[in-house]
Amino acid sequence: MTNIAPAASPETLIQMKSVNKYFGNFQALKNINLEVKKGEKIVVCGPSGSGKSTMIRCINRLEEHTDGHIIIDGNELTDKVKDINAIRREVGMVFQSFNLFPHMTILKNLMLAQRLVRKTSKAEARETAMHFLERVKIPEQADKYPVQLSGGQQQRVAIARALCMKPEIILFDEPTSALDPEMINEVLEVMTDLAKEGMTMVCVTHEMGFARSVADRVIFMDAGEIVEEAEPEDFFLNPQNERTQKFLSQILTH
Amino acid sequence: MIFDFELIADSIPKMLMGIGLTFQLLFLSAILGLILAVLLLLMRISGKWYLSWPAQVHIYIFRGTPILVQIFIIYYGLPQFEFIRDSIFWPILREPFGCAILALTLNTGAYVSEILRGGVLGVDRGVLEAGAALGLSVRQKFIYLTVPIAARLSLPAYSNDFISLMKATSLASTITLVDMTGIARTIVSQTFAPYEIFISLAIIYMILTWVFQKTFGRIEKYLSRYVKPEGLA
Amino acid sequence: MEAVTGWWDDYFWGSVIVLQVFVCSLILMVLFGLIGAAAKLSNNRFAQKLAAGYTVAFRGTPEILVILLLYFGSAITLTAIAQVFDPEVKFVDLSPFWSGTLAIGLIVGSYATETFRGAFLGVKPGSIEAARALGMSNFQTFVYVRIPEMWRLALPSFGNHMLSLIKDTALISIIGLNETLFVAKQAIGTTGKPFTMYIVVGCVYLGFSTVITLTVMWLEKYGNKHMESAR
Repeated sequence: MTNIAPAASPETLIQMKSVNKYFGNFQALKNINLEVKKGEKIVVCGPSGSGKSTMIRCINRLEEHTDGHIIIDGNELTDKVKDINAIRREVGMVFQSFNLFPHMTILKNLMLAQRLVRKTSKAEARETAMHFLERVKIPEQADKYPVQLSGGQQQRVAIARALCMKPEIILFDEPTSALDPEMINEVLEVMTDLAKEGMTMVCVTHEMGFARSVADRVIFMDAGEIVEEAEPEDFFLNPQNERTQKFLSQILTH
Repeated sequence: MIFDFELIADSIPKMLMGIGLTFQLLFLSAILGLILAVLLLLMRISGKWYLSWPAQVHIYIFRGTPILVQIFIIYYGLPQFEFIRDSIFWPILREPFGCAILALTLNTGAYVSEILRGGVLGVDRGVLEAGAALGLSVRQKFIYLTVPIAARLSLPAYSNDFISLMKATSLASTITLVDMTGIARTIVSQTFAPYEIFISLAIIYMILTWVFQKTFGRIEKYLSRYVKPEGLA
Repeated sequence: MEAVTGWWDDYFWGSVIVLQVFVCSLILMVLFGLIGAAAKLSNNRFAQKLAAGYTVAFRGTPEILVILLLYFGSAITLTAIAQVFDPEVKFVDLSPFWSGTLAIGLIVGSYATETFRGAFLGVKPGSIEAARALGMSNFQTFVYVRIPEMWRLALPSFGNHMLSLIKDTALISIIGLNETLFVAKQAIGTTGKPFTMYIVVGCVYLGFSTVITLTVMWLEKYGNKHMESAR
């Protein structure tokens, strides 16, 4: 693996340097620079189409960036397939639409990647799976299929599935946007617990309460750029950029 | 018009003597056709033009022409060439049974391949992304996610194609094979009682259709256990 | 290929017959399909049962059997009727053309029944209610809202039914219709080149299928214009 992470301190897990991303002629990301240290919790917000999902999807290469450098835990993302799967093992991801494997029970959902990617034994995979199902408080659903669970439960399973791989980082791509209002809190609770335990997290979300209580830094994106980056206190009480002010006034009056 | 029930009672056992051949044609070409279909599908989604192109041509030709013409080209047409008569395939191509199997296989393979492709395209992209995000390789995603999900999505259309294949086996009677339809045609030419014979045979085929539909329905229900929100699991 | 030289005109007229059967059976198919769908959607239990029997029978029976039954059956029946009036008559039949056309119209019509029924039920009640709320009459709603929407929903399956019809015409050669496959059989008798002669038939059918497929693709594109999302 190519290791070109000069300036970063040893505990830097994610480093994005001058990253650009085009879809055809459309520039989705413009000169993104971002550094995430071990244990940090970052919340990314911004209007729809601002590139926030694209940005975190570039971090585990579900999207390929056009130019610039993305370095995860000292390894640069290139198009070498082996490296990517090795990196993806360390980067968990939780999706807006849960994306559980519909044809497998909850337990099998949690065991599959452990068995195939981590090459864990069956017994150990099962044990790990049950451990994390208890952590997200739904061990009793282990033998059900995803459709038999509520949206909130499915998302907690998805979080447990990511945790089973013992990742260094977890990316959250609008994890509560597809949920009914009464289910949002059960998911945020699990995420807050994770944060308290010191997990490194990058969350795209509009849950400003969560951002305020959990985030170390809040990033505001608009039109593919990082417009503002601040600690939550400053971000909410004293936003510098006009676009941030406008966004906050819209989202907070809702 | 009076129905000759004695003739019917007499003929049904005779026609059922051909059911073995009907089943042989059906199951053998269904299995071989499925293998061919998977092959064609893999060729199509390989991303390599020299594989996907021949697969597409095969599908285009065999879906675009009548199965009867395909049977005639293989059975009557191929022996026109000396090199085929000299080839190792001649023992198969000389026999009407081998030709019928070959034609039915090539035909159903083309249709089923398209059905399977529909299934593969129907797999939710998000599910595959989740697999990728967990570090599954391309091959692992295909085997553990795409195949089982696509199989369930394809099943309803596949069951229809299986019924079509069963009906197509009756065309083997046009190249001298004595399946149920072949026997029926012989009886009609002797007795000239088309109503009695053909209607009884039609009912036999309808019963078979019903049995296969029920069987596929069961498999579908089993495979769909994870699609139903509550119960049944 | 030079073996085909003297036979081009025969193939041409055979192709014309294929087209004639196609057009006539297409009309019958639409007719049977609409009647079947209307019966299935009606409140009349008897009509529903009848339509259900129709689809089960024709979807569960091999096509060739239906063709043989209609041809030989009609011959027996018509001969019997004719003999009542004139005992001298030996044989009267419904021509291979018409019994074959009727047979494949009935067969594919049974599939079309389901297509039309599905398309009718597939129209969103919201569109109908909206039309009513705007003060459109029943008839206007039917013509301006339901029919266009149904057409769009039914088109892909309708295209497949047309392909079935054109390919099923080949089966009618079995009862002696002088379409291309029948022409090939005669040509083989004199030239002894079965492969060449049948390949020509294959090409004729492939040509027809291609034209139908392209037409349906064009119609679908036209019919789905409003489905293209704004960019």
